[in-house]
Amino acid sequence: MAENAEPSEETLNIPLQENNKQTIEEEKRRDLSYVLLPNPKDLPQTPPAAVETNFSRYFVADFMKPGHDQYVYRHANGLCVIGLARAHVALTEAGGVTVVDFNVGKSDRSELKVTGKRKRNALQFESNSALCKVSANGNCYIVRCCVKGSLLEVNDRLIKQPDLLNSSADREGYVAIIMPKQGEWLKIKDSLLSYEEYVKLRGLS
Amino acid sequence: MTSSGPAPESGTALIKAKPFLPPCHVIHDLLSTGVCIRCIFRLSGIHDRDCYTSPLDESDLILFLEEQNEIKSNFTTITYCCICLGVLCSVCCVQEKTGAAFKEISSVNDFVLFISDMIKREGYQIDGFSLEVSVPPVIAANERALRLHIKQKYEKEQWFNDKFLHDHMSVKDSLKLLLNASLEKYLAVQSVESLSSPFHIRLTYSHFETSQKLQSLVVNCRDSKKRERGSGENGSSKKASNESESDASIYRVLDLIGDHDFCTRFLVPPRKADKPCQLVVACHRTPIYIAGRYLKYSRNVSQSRWIIDDERMGEASVEELIGENVLQICRGDGYKFHSAGREDIDVRMLGSGRPFLVEVLNSRILPSYTEIERIADNINNSDKKLVGVGNLKLVGAEAWNMMREGEAEKQKEYAALVWISRPLTDDDVCNLTSLKDLDVAQKTPIRVLHRRSPLERSKIIHWMKIENVEGTTQYFLLHLCTQAGTYIKEFVHGDLGRTHPSIGSILGCRAEILQLDVTDVKMDYFD
Repeated sequence: MAENAEPSEETLNIPLQENNKQTIEEEKRRDLSYVLLPNPKDLPQTPPAAVETNFSRYFVADFMKPGHDQYVYRHANGLCVIGLARAHVALTEAGGVTVVDFNVGKSDRSELKVTGKRKRNALQFESNSALCKVSANGNCYIVRCCVKGSLLEVNDRLIKQPDLLNSSADREGYVAIIMPKQGEWLKIKDSLLSYEEYVKLRGLS
Repeated sequence: MTSSGPAPESGTALIKAKPFLPPCHVIHDLLSTGVCIRCIFRLSGIHDRDCYTSPLDESDLILFLEEQNEIKSNFTTITYCCICLGVLCSVCCVQEKTGAAFKEISSVNDFVLFISDMIKREGYQIDGFSLEVSVPPVIAANERALRLHIKQKYEKEQWFNDKFLHDHMSVKDSLKLLLNASLEKYLAVQSVESLSSPFHIRLTYSHFETSQKLQSLVVNCRDSKKRERGSGENGSSKKASNESESDASIYRVLDLIGDHDFCTRFLVPPRKADKPCQLVVACHRTPIYIAGRYLKYSRNVSQSRWIIDDERMGEASVEELIGENVLQICRGDGYKFHSAGREDIDVRMLGSGRPFLVEVLNSRILPSYTEIERIADNINNSDKKLVGVGNLKLVGAEAWNMMREGEAEKQKEYAALVWISRPLTDDDVCNLTSLKDLDVAQKTPIRVLHRRSPLERSKIIHWMKIENVEGTTQYFLLHLCTQAGTYIKEFVHGDLGRTHPSIGSILGCRAEILQLDVTDVKMDYFD
């Protein structure tokens, strides 16, 4: 690295003070780059996804009805993201999922507004409470909560873009975020399947 | 005292005092009631410092009386004044803190020696001081009792005017007047009015037995007042009879009582005390601030002390690494760490560093340039290069506001190591670098949703630059400059679509972030 670089052609007309400032800035950037740039040999071909590293992935097969497979992604802070697992029967229908409707049970889940740090006005759900219904190939499937707790958020993007369930049900196509009631998680944890167990059960790759 | 009269210095003081003093028979009365000479001076409306600082005592006054009127009188010496309980005679039992041994003080000199001894032992470096005095409310009651006594007895006399009762210094102010001069001389620094100096010497007087009596009298008063007013306030603030009233509530009751009522409950004139006051002396410096910028080189160091279930998260904390070093050199009682924003435990802070303030509580010294250099050296040359500091300097309290002001407005620069699910193309680079002041809508990230409000926050990405990582096709270094408060990790991976747009959505593929570094936090004050 040339510490005292000669001013290049373009900078000859700039007064000397400014020119020095520029070189110092460039030097700083080069030093910083050196610290920032990784050694390509240390980089994996495919790094783990954020969903894998930040969440513990659990699955439930045939929840209340055959073929109703759902996932529960639990974050280290206790929050659970609920969605359709890969082998959910709705995702295998011809044409995939076409409509998602949150107006089930007693209220439209997409209307709820949870506010504040304590999330006091969130609806309390049982594990079998309905979150939404999805339509695929003329059939209707109900997606349920799986974990008893407060409903913090539903993915209302699914209303306008139901296709998210077909393209990425395990990420952008998530259905809802639940805050489990104190002590609930430990009760149901053992009844859930791990990623490997689910893959094996359904014979997936 | 020799029979030739009081010493010359005292002589001048007496001469100065004379025009203010009441007639001799009144002075006689006051002395026999048990009022000390300085309280007599106070009540006479004397404000001259010399009168209080001179070593006059009651016997000088008696001599003076005798000279004036040739009245021979026999007095028992006053032990503790019936108004000020010895405070103005510099007689008390002093301790440094509760639980320490008591030491008897009987003169201004003793007093001043005690205080300066304390300051020296603690190693306080001072260039001024302010005295803070707290006296027990019983003194106010005593004074009122004495004034009522004088009024009752002499109000018909010619010399008497209301001035005698109202325009005079309080015990507190006289004490400060009395002590400031001697302390200034001994400590060789100036005293400053109204606690304006950063170094406070707090004198807290108490007198146990008379305060007890006052307590019960006051409770009595208050309860009877309640009964008078009727049953309007049932059960609102029923205190147990053995709970002590605060000084403020005692003063309030005294304010409300009429003179007549007062006389029925309190001894008029007040009785002489037979024990001196107890005094606690405490020295304290107002907080000092050391500002600077810190760098965090480790991905396993949290910003503030982070302990869950008795286990520390991460290897250390920036707060402790810097704060402990500052505390050690300043010899303070404690510290508080403030910074302009924060970064996650796994994010490095590079470039010019993040502005911070360490507030040192009750620092014994005012660190000089060399001492500040030493703090910086201790931190920068430690074995584990976890944290570094720069631009360290002593600043005033306004620094706190400067930092908070700038926090929400300032832009921050980052470098993120990004992976995408397909090779990076030149179009991608053009695409990203051409976006200026991009609006991003971020729903509260899931990783903090458990402790923050579920909101959608609109943030701005000012610019982006791409740097290729040689030897790879799907990795690149993303340099970006964003509005304060932007969640960078979520901007890269999209947080399940809850941050929109994101790098993934802009490039039309999956994007993951492996590493994040903060490369610049702009804040001029800390440069």
